Amino acid sequence: MAELLIRNGYVFDPLNGIEGERMDISIRDGKIVEKVSRKARVLDVSGMTVMPGGVDIHSHIAGSKANCARMMRPEDHWRDPEPKTKYTRSGVGHTIPSVFTTGYRYARMGYTTVFEPATPPLKTRHTHEELNDIPIIDKGCFPLLGNNWFVMEYVKQGRIDELAAYVAWMLEATKGYAIKIVNPGGIEAWRWGRNLRHLDDKVPNFDVTPREIVRALCQVNKILNLPHAVHIHPNGLSEPGNYQTTLDTMDCVHDIQRESGPTMHVTHAQFTGRKGWSWADVRSGAPEIADYVNTHDHVSIDMGQLVFTNVTWMTADGPAMFALFKFSKTKWFNADVESETGAGVVSATYKKSNYVNAIQWGIALELALLVKDPWKIYLTTDHPNGGPFTAYPRVISWLVSREARQRVIDKINKTARRRLDLPGIDREYSLHEIATITRAATAKSLGLGCKGQLGAGADADIAIYSIEPRKIDPAKDYKAVRKAFASAAFTVKDGRIVVKNGEVVRSVQGRTFWTKPEVSEGIMKTVTSDLERKFDDYYTVRMANYPIEERYLTSSQAITTRGDV
Amino acid sequence: MTDLVFTPTRQFRIPVTAECISPDFVAGKSLREIELTQVWEGNRRIKLGSLFKVQGEIGRTLDDCTVKITGNVSAVRRIGFEMTGGSIQIDGDAGMYLGERMQGGSITVTGNAGSWLATQMRNGQIEVQGDAGDAIGGSARGGTKGMRGGTITIHGNCGTETGAWMQSGTIRIKGNCDLYAGIHMKNGTIMIERNCAGRVGAQMTGGKIIVLGNVGGVLPSFQFEEIRAKAKVGDEKIPGPFYFFSGDVNEEGKGQVLARVTDNSDLKWNERLIER
Amino acid sequence: MPRTTLQNVLCTFCASGCDNLEITYDGRIVDSARNGCAISVSRFTTADESRILKPLVRREGKLRPTTFTRAIDRAARILINAKYPLLYGWSQTSCEAISKGIELAELVGGIVDNTTTSCHGPTILGVQDAGEATCTLGEVRHSADLVIYWACNPVHSHPRHMNRYTIFSEGRFRKTRKDRKLIVVDVRKTDTAKLADRFIQIQPNGDYELLTALRTAINGEEIEQDFVAGVPVETIEEIADMMMECEFGALFFGLGLTMTMGKHRNTEAALTLVRDLNYVTKFVVVPMRGWFNVTGANEVSTWQTGYPYAVDLTQGYPRFNPGDTSAIDALARGEVDAALVVASDPVSHFPRAAVKNLLEIPIVTVEPKRTPTSDASEVVMPSAIIGVEAAGTIYRIDGVALEAKKVIEPPLGVRTDEEILDAIIKRVKKMGRDADG
Repeated sequence: MAELLIRNGYVFDPLNGIEGERMDISIRDGKIVEKVSRKARVLDVSGMTVMPGGVDIHSHIAGSKANCARMMRPEDHWRDPEPKTKYTRSGVGHTIPSVFTTGYRYARMGYTTVFEPATPPLKTRHTHEELNDIPIIDKGCFPLLGNNWFVMEYVKQGRIDELAAYVAWMLEATKGYAIKIVNPGGIEAWRWGRNLRHLDDKVPNFDVTPREIVRALCQVNKILNLPHAVHIHPNGLSEPGNYQTTLDTMDCVHDIQRESGPTMHVTHAQFTGRKGWSWADVRSGAPEIADYVNTHDHVSIDMGQLVFTNVTWMTADGPAMFALFKFSKTKWFNADVESETGAGVVSATYKKSNYVNAIQWGIALELALLVKDPWKIYLTTDHPNGGPFTAYPRVISWLVSREARQRVIDKINKTARRRLDLPGIDREYSLHEIATITRAATAKSLGLGCKGQLGAGADADIAIYSIEPRKIDPAKDYKAVRKAFASAAFTVKDGRIVVKNGEVVRSVQGRTFWTKPEVSEGIMKTVTSDLERKFDDYYTVRMANYPIEERYLTSSQAITTRGDV
Repeated sequence: MTDLVFTPTRQFRIPVTAECISPDFVAGKSLREIELTQVWEGNRRIKLGSLFKVQGEIGRTLDDCTVKITGNVSAVRRIGFEMTGGSIQIDGDAGMYLGERMQGGSITVTGNAGSWLATQMRNGQIEVQGDAGDAIGGSARGGTKGMRGGTITIHGNCGTETGAWMQSGTIRIKGNCDLYAGIHMKNGTIMIERNCAGRVGAQMTGGKIIVLGNVGGVLPSFQFEEIRAKAKVGDEKIPGPFYFFSGDVNEEGKGQVLARVTDNSDLKWNERLIER
Repeated sequence: MPRTTLQNVLCTFCASGCDNLEITYDGRIVDSARNGCAISVSRFTTADESRILKPLVRREGKLRPTTFTRAIDRAARILINAKYPLLYGWSQTSCEAISKGIELAELVGGIVDNTTTSCHGPTILGVQDAGEATCTLGEVRHSADLVIYWACNPVHSHPRHMNRYTIFSEGRFRKTRKDRKLIVVDVRKTDTAKLADRFIQIQPNGDYELLTALRTAINGEEIEQDFVAGVPVETIEEIADMMMECEFGALFFGLGLTMTMGKHRNTEAALTLVRDLNYVTKFVVVPMRGWFNVTGANEVSTWQTGYPYAVDLTQGYPRFNPGDTSAIDALARGEVDAALVVASDPVSHFPRAAVKNLLEIPIVTVEPKRTPTSDASEVVMPSAIIGVEAAGTIYRIDGVALEAKKVIEPPLGVRTDEEILDAIIKRVKKMGRDADG
């Protein structure tokens, strides 16, 4: 019966068309309601900005590769410890924070939902153990399917219905949320130390192409009516010029329309947005990619913004990691996962003086500024690949203020500066647009109706920032904007105040969202008997031991969909 | 020179972490303030004054500050942490992490020093009359940046991995040295006056290691170049002759290992390579 | 009670993660354990031997039975009063229990360390310098045409390793024994070496030199010695060629590398060699971890504290430096003033200097079976055997998490590690930090 009234803030709720109006938000029992009784606790936020809690669509926070990175990089931790407090457990931070610290730091920025975007199905039990331990935020994970043996065989055979049933089985077995593809076919090629560059290259021993894999999984996504688009990291990440592959990948499914939103979401588009033949010569492919996104409704993208600091690269794209390791010359970790996928981790430092890094920094911002519709592009750093998630406020300052961008532009490699379009772009994001790309649009893209908005019925996940929209001009006062987003005045999770003035005052358990597509018994029977026949040949664990039971999730939230098969 | 003297009030068994025992911290403070400073003894916070009798005078400026410790402080960690000037004189045994990230000033120890002495040191002088432990002048765990300036002298023996990931500066060991002296070394000079247990200069990419005693064999990733009459440490010329090896070839390294001929008869077989 | 058979049971002895055991039991007695190796059979069929059946506390010099509550109370007091407590073991219990252990260590301000510290700690330290090119075990089964066992003897230590994952297994791309070559490197001709296509006998403590020489050969440089670690240079070059010419090589190494002269530098050399091989062909390395959940102990510790073992939580945040914050070293220096030991027997396994000091401090042991450590303790809490009498998550050598099942009931009144630790945590919280006897 707990009631809370958040009074008199400037509310930004893009999904409900509210742009900085002064209004009250009423909460009861963890949900937003029309109004509350006089007994409600009142939180007076006059002069502050109120937004839905942040929804991060892509951040590598949990699972085997994140943990291998933590284990490999003690030097990442010792400078950034988090002592325990009355309300919080201790931990370490910087690029790969430990789990408790991860939850607290997101909450301190007003974020309340985060998705781990790449989990190898065989090791997803591990991912859920970590997600369970991350406090406060709601979460989910995307199982990797783009190099999976069963997937590739069904694709080769043209058995889309069976593929759909298999994906349904996999989502339930892994308690995963959406279909993730990384370097389709390329990670299987990495079994033999090779990689794939183009959509029409053949996967060794499987005789399918990335194009076929991507198309088939996008069709499956539609058949199963899954809440999110197919989330894809295209081939070619480690090529100097790879934007064309990105365009081809987006275009290869232009004929597959999905009712509830785009068919495909290309993630961290900066990393596959380069033009050129050699590293000395790379340019920004952002104008072409932005142009495509502007003129097509079946795709969305997220930035993958770079920040000039020490980072950790971690991705399922094993071959790309080895290729890039040769540049960083630091440490390289690799872990292929039988019959499914892989992972790679490398430590690296981005420098303003480095030509390529400067171009990359520019590409992500160009993407955000050239894509016209903020519902199609989301703010990410592909944490921790482009930079730690704690850098989001800095990225926000670059988006809202040309002056803030210019200060960095003045310091980056001169040749890069000349070759980027960025210096000439005037556009500045409004707070409303920031609210869109950090919460409203991401929640919508994920199909999470209860998140990213402040209408009645939504989860009471709310961020309150010390920004008075009528008094400040974000373009000039970008430092204040950055400070405000770094340290929320209040963060509310399920109706409870968890952060006050940037400090965690309460720890709560978030929910793990997963998708449960229902398909007909007949097709599921066909697929399970295929699996039973082959499982022991493909895997070194028994089929009975592979699926993760729902009780494994400390707080499970299943989203059921009805498949058309 | 004004001296501030710390005398342990008892024997320490539980580890004490006292970064505040450093000229930078004490300069300009009162005795009372120093005594009241909280330090860790295991998992308890305790006043420095409960662990040490603190007497004497405190310099007002850094360079005027001498911190003296009389007694066994082998259980006290991080003395001289990040100090930038002044001096510390320990009359007894010192604990781990002595002078970690030191940037200037001097530390002397009459007894032994623990492991991780002066890791990530930037500048300054350290002299230990007794033995020292492992990883002198090394890097942080998982890191690649060891000491980058200053001089460390150990009169006794030292442990493994002396000068790991060293970037610059000088380390002199007058006694024996355990395995892996100069591992991953990038630059700087290490001189060992007596014997090494072996594997000197493993994976080094640059720098110089001079061994006057027996070097403990040379790794297969080092190549014999020639016999040199002398070796140089700064301006000092050390008479040889020395077997001179370059490596580590597996790291495309340009490091130098010089082993004095008289003490390395087990390396004599290399002489046949001179004719090549 | 009718006889029941349970399929797909995970064995919780070594870290191979065999999960296809078939256990038949009648009440609390296990009749048979099929598909497992001899060691796994005995884990199930001898579960009742040497059991501690009641909580014990030491009174007037002797361990005497007491109630659960009293034992928990004494345990909590011992930990609260300590200034530098050690919480050790963890490799033979579930991740859920390990998580409680870390919570307890943070609460009382202690060091939490696991058996990694005395076996594959050097492997992790090597990874921290050199990285690691690895994979799950199925990848080896499917693809490896060259297998190397270095300083380990799986015939005895991991009896089903070769059948399930390497030379006697069947993979998608390697169907028979003939499709693979086996090289064994060891100081003597072990039973595993007898199965090898090439056996390389190496001088004791010469691994670092031999690994370096192989790296030199692979990098196309000349080795100037005639012999390295007792192995002729021609042989070294042949082995280097075999490694470079294979399609998919897999190197497995054991304690013979981690515990001999050089330790973490030996493992670093092996990891670096494999890394360099990846410039030429596909090569992976997988350490031969011993206890069934030592990997789990590392994983849980890393995701919760940032560090895999030897985690010092005494100052309110995690710190890590093996040699300083590790169990054996802290004990040997006489720094530890109380210990909680969970599912481990350090009195039997630790070096003498550490054991001497361990025996002088109060020990709380949580353990299914009577051991020299439990005999030396102030408090002994009997616990259920994971994977036999209690369920829980464990991690296989290669990081695949699996669920150990509860097959039979524990002896009456015996609880799980997780429950016991939870009870200690609750008692400690209730007492507050400063309770004093």
